[in-house]
Amino acid sequence: MPKAAPPAPVQAVRGLAVLAESPGEEHAAVACALGLDSVPLSAEYSDLFLFQLYPYASVYLGAEGMIGGTARDRIAGFWHAVGLRPPKEPDHLAALLGLYASLIERAESGESEAEELLSFQAARTLLLEHLCPWVFAWLDRMQELSSGFYASWALLLKRFLIEELSGEGSSRCADDAVDSGVVSLQHLRDVPSLPDPRSDGSESFIKGLLASISSGMIITRADLGRIARSLDLGLRAGERRYALEHLIAQDAEGTLRALVSEAHRQGNIHKHRIKWLGESSEHLARRCCSTAALLDELAQEDLK
Amino acid sequence: MTNEELNQRVSAAREEVEARGETFYPGASRVHLAAYPPRERWNDWVELDSKSWPDRVEKRYTLVPTTCFNCESACGLLAYVDRETLQVRKFEGNPEHPGSRGRNCAKGPATINQITDPDRILYPLRRAGARGEGKWERVSWDEALDDIAARIRSCIQEDRHEQVMYHVGRPGEDGYTTRMLAAWGVDGHNSHTNVCSSGSRAGHHWWMGMDRPSPDHANAKVILLVSSHLETGHYFNPHAQRIIEGKENGAKLIVLDTRLSNTATHADHWLSPYPGSEPAIFLAVANWMIQSGRYDENFVRRWWNWQDYMEMVKGEPSASFERFLEVLGELYESYTFDFAAAESGLEVETLREVAEMISSAGTQLSAYNWRSAGSGNLGGWQVARTMTLLGALMGSLATEGGTFPNSWNKFTPKPPRLPHQHPTRWNDVLWPDEYPLALMEMSFLMPYLMEDQDAFVDVYFTRVYNPVWTNPDGFSWIEMLRNESRIGQHIAMTPTWNETAYFADYVLPMGHSSERHDLTSYEQYDGQWIGFRQPVLRAARERLGEQINDTRDVNPGEVWEENEFWIELTWRVDPDGSLGIRKFFESVKNPGQKMTVDEYYSWIFENSVPGLPDAAAAEGITPFEYMRRYGAFEVASKVGKVFEQPVADAELEDVRVDEAGRVFTRAPIPPSPKAPGGTKIDPDKEGRRRVGVRVDGEIVKGWPTPSGKLEFWSRTLHEWGWPELATPTYVKSHVHQQNLDSDQIPLITTFRVPVQIHTRSANAKWLDEIAHTNPLWIHPQDAARVGIEKTGDLVRVETEIGYFVLKAWITEGIRPGVAACSHHMGRWKPEGHEGQRIGMMTVAIDQDGSEWGLTRKKGGGAFESSDPDTLRVWWTDVGVHQNLTHPVHPDPISGMHCWHQAVRIKPAQPGDSFGDVSVDTSKSRAVYDKWLEMTRSASEHSPNGTRRPWWMLRPVRPERAAYDLPEPELSGA
Repeated sequence: MPKAAPPAPVQAVRGLAVLAESPGEEHAAVACALGLDSVPLSAEYSDLFLFQLYPYASVYLGAEGMIGGTARDRIAGFWHAVGLRPPKEPDHLAALLGLYASLIERAESGESEAEELLSFQAARTLLLEHLCPWVFAWLDRMQELSSGFYASWALLLKRFLIEELSGEGSSRCADDAVDSGVVSLQHLRDVPSLPDPRSDGSESFIKGLLASISSGMIITRADLGRIARSLDLGLRAGERRYALEHLIAQDAEGTLRALVSEAHRQGNIHKHRIKWLGESSEHLARRCCSTAALLDELAQEDLK
Repeated sequence: MTNEELNQRVSAAREEVEARGETFYPGASRVHLAAYPPRERWNDWVELDSKSWPDRVEKRYTLVPTTCFNCESACGLLAYVDRETLQVRKFEGNPEHPGSRGRNCAKGPATINQITDPDRILYPLRRAGARGEGKWERVSWDEALDDIAARIRSCIQEDRHEQVMYHVGRPGEDGYTTRMLAAWGVDGHNSHTNVCSSGSRAGHHWWMGMDRPSPDHANAKVILLVSSHLETGHYFNPHAQRIIEGKENGAKLIVLDTRLSNTATHADHWLSPYPGSEPAIFLAVANWMIQSGRYDENFVRRWWNWQDYMEMVKGEPSASFERFLEVLGELYESYTFDFAAAESGLEVETLREVAEMISSAGTQLSAYNWRSAGSGNLGGWQVARTMTLLGALMGSLATEGGTFPNSWNKFTPKPPRLPHQHPTRWNDVLWPDEYPLALMEMSFLMPYLMEDQDAFVDVYFTRVYNPVWTNPDGFSWIEMLRNESRIGQHIAMTPTWNETAYFADYVLPMGHSSERHDLTSYEQYDGQWIGFRQPVLRAARERLGEQINDTRDVNPGEVWEENEFWIELTWRVDPDGSLGIRKFFESVKNPGQKMTVDEYYSWIFENSVPGLPDAAAAEGITPFEYMRRYGAFEVASKVGKVFEQPVADAELEDVRVDEAGRVFTRAPIPPSPKAPGGTKIDPDKEGRRRVGVRVDGEIVKGWPTPSGKLEFWSRTLHEWGWPELATPTYVKSHVHQQNLDSDQIPLITTFRVPVQIHTRSANAKWLDEIAHTNPLWIHPQDAARVGIEKTGDLVRVETEIGYFVLKAWITEGIRPGVAACSHHMGRWKPEGHEGQRIGMMTVAIDQDGSEWGLTRKKGGGAFESSDPDTLRVWWTDVGVHQNLTHPVHPDPISGMHCWHQAVRIKPAQPGDSFGDVSVDTSKSRAVYDKWLEMTRSASEHSPNGTRRPWWMLRPVRPERAAYDLPEPELSGA
């Protein structure tokens, strides 16, 4: 039988969700209510969400490393499965958190125990399946890149999710089976390994590097800028793929070595999370490790 | 803080905010990237300068709305005017525009290319040598105005009104020019419609008395397209976004297109029928619905004019509805799926599935045909007529998710000083005896009709129209334009060089979409809106405190706008007001002074647009300032079933109801803010006007047809010589297989290239880079059969009057046995002439009697200009001009040019080069004569001695007496 559960934090998660949207006047009040001590700024939002860390699950869960594709379809399928029409961007972080809020709210107002159970299971599945495999690593990077409002928001959201996963939140879930088998991490199934440029060509190699589900790490424009500055290379304006391609063309060894250390750094963070996040962190840690090994090997060959 | 505590905090804050009546959470639309500058910040909008990136350099703009003038959709644009330089920096979408809702296709933002085109015409030009020789001299506007005005004045004074003609391609406005022609008393409105949309218009008009469809795609269950509306087509952007919305809501999409268009790729059912068989398909679907009872019997009983049909055709005036249903079943029983399959080449099972799908839509079937098959085939108007039969069976007309008639989703406001006079003389060149039922002017027959009638046009304006290039048989147009005993003076009003302007006496530069005033309203969903096109720099400078009275002051060079030009011209035609014309262009506030465009539109916005004065007052501005600021206004939404609306009691006075249920009243027409227009229904014998129809005892508005009902059977077609086509039926196309030789196949030419728009966009470098050529689509089986080895090989395509040479594109995207070539592309300038360098090839034109040739001398390519991008033009192929090789194919009823060609395709012959065109215009004449034989003239078939049914739509409608046929000349004296 379920133990007595605290009320679902519907409003807290709604508030956290809307802060992942482009800021307008109303956001300041929401931020204040969440206890965040500054207000979100449009310019900061644009830089972080539009240029550095795209807030779409499919970017981090799809083998293409881009918005859309199978990962987005799976998430849209989840919306359908819980009886809702997917919004235009079903995998946007705000949409996913909003959905989480709706599911826990639906569970609370459910008329029968079965309905309550189903909704909690669905909320739990959403968290484990479509958020956990990417959102913690993404929030890490958000904290690193932002020195202002969004760093505080990322920390708060991370703490919130951790509690939902492990603390009081999980106790609302009536059935332990949710964690032990009902949920299987579809996005981690059959993830292609990082292509080797020597056999698969450099195009697919670069594409794989930028797809975090394959390489294990999230590489932002800021990372590429930092590498360019540290090696005194020119950074071509354009998409990440194009910029990275030109960094490698200018200094393959230096660029690859910089990426090796980034892979180790992000891999270590994943490793520390394995004990409480399990399979998804394990997957990313493994990928960072193999990515670092391949990059290291290539750096030694000084791939041009 | 635990999640629970956090939640309590947020809940408390939310309650507090909402207790104040404010919103705590922002709306849910901030997730995606479609964010627009909020309209309260348009005056002073700050953006980071993209060219300075990664430095953060702020640019300040004032954002001014206008309306795109590339295709007819009239989507909203927002011009970003740099506050420092007062130049337009870019164009994006106007989120305040109800039709386009902030979205644009590629052609909207590319407006910036057009206004900065280094080859645009900046000054008025007058020809210096022989017409067509390519020599020009710059003249002042005053010289041009005086010369043209004097000619028009002579025509009017000497009662030669029919010798003034205004030939328009893209109108891009509602009512301004027709008002002017009415003021002049000239029946000289000539449009491009019969090379464009008359097929579809006729099909709708015969049913509804309104000639355009307005589908409610967003709310449909099934969307049925005979068009390619997800990539091109009329109202492409406003419709495409609503089709996608409909699909997101679960609508099924059925596309009939012989080509695998981008639209077809999004369809649930893509049907690739043999060209011209579309009506056979619709009739088979209709028959299946009728035989299986899957239609709305009550709607048919209430709204079809079935009693007229039973009386006049079956001789059963008192037949019951049940008896009609029996007859209906018999009428269509031969249109089986097997029959349609044999005609179309589609599978019976597919047709059955499509029929099931259509019938599942209920009243939510949005069906649309524009151009496409309706414009390709003899009898193409039956495409829309039979398509509407499906809607009329299901009652899906003017319903949510169904198809509306245009007039109910369009708002043309009444202008000031509306002329009440009508031309007194009938123009036989435009409305010839042989085509009394043509939807619009027989414009593309002009070269032949001028010869046949030995006619002379003293003043001929072409405006945003390029008949030499666009119309079939362009060489015959050149022959006519060069002949000064046919065309006295030709004035080409155009922003940019075109093939027709080379044969003008004056070339007058007119502004692009951000350089002119116009008012538009188009049927794009179940609502009514107006959009205001304006010279954005004029509006921007006025915002910053300047007073601008002449659009030329803000336009480049001496580029003008038509509205101010027409006012000025009219004042010079009638300087002292003695002709009775000037008064229509005098100020309302200050009679005797010239009306300004500001006053013209202010008057409309204050007096003729319901709701606009209130919306403006709420912001503390005038209606005119409101439109200058936001560019668009929605007058109504969810108009619904107008035909079912009860007639107001105030309109019912001394009422008579005739046997057919038509209701007549003595009450005067209530005042309306809308401009008059539409069909004209005769009063009853005692002079009461028709006000509605009585259906099941209730007096409702009905349809603007002679019967007041949906005309399943057209008394007009029946009485004017076409009884066999008076109900929706199937006419075998001129490219039906039985009409072709064994080595001929149909060529489809009516489709657009997604990012281009006829001859209007060749001066947009971005669009040209994306699409600049028009190869021949040919199926691998056909390519193998005629010996074309690979894509890119040169082929010769032979029509009835000549041939053209182009490159093959071997593709499975076309039905075997059919070829296709887009009518876009193939623009040219003669050697030695000025012209567009982007998008035009240079050609030599040779003439030997009636034999004409066009040879490509130089393709496109890089050139030096004020725009460094022109040195980066990497393509030389700008396509081939196929329309020159098309003879005219006028449909004997709708008047539509039937574009599909019967062609022979072979590998290029020795001596052939890419772009070659060869035509014998004497053969063109023979084809014209052959099609003329199919006509049934007014003089032989008119039931009442008139030239044309009075009730039918007609621009610049002449007075009633002008409709009378002339007395036959006595012969044999």
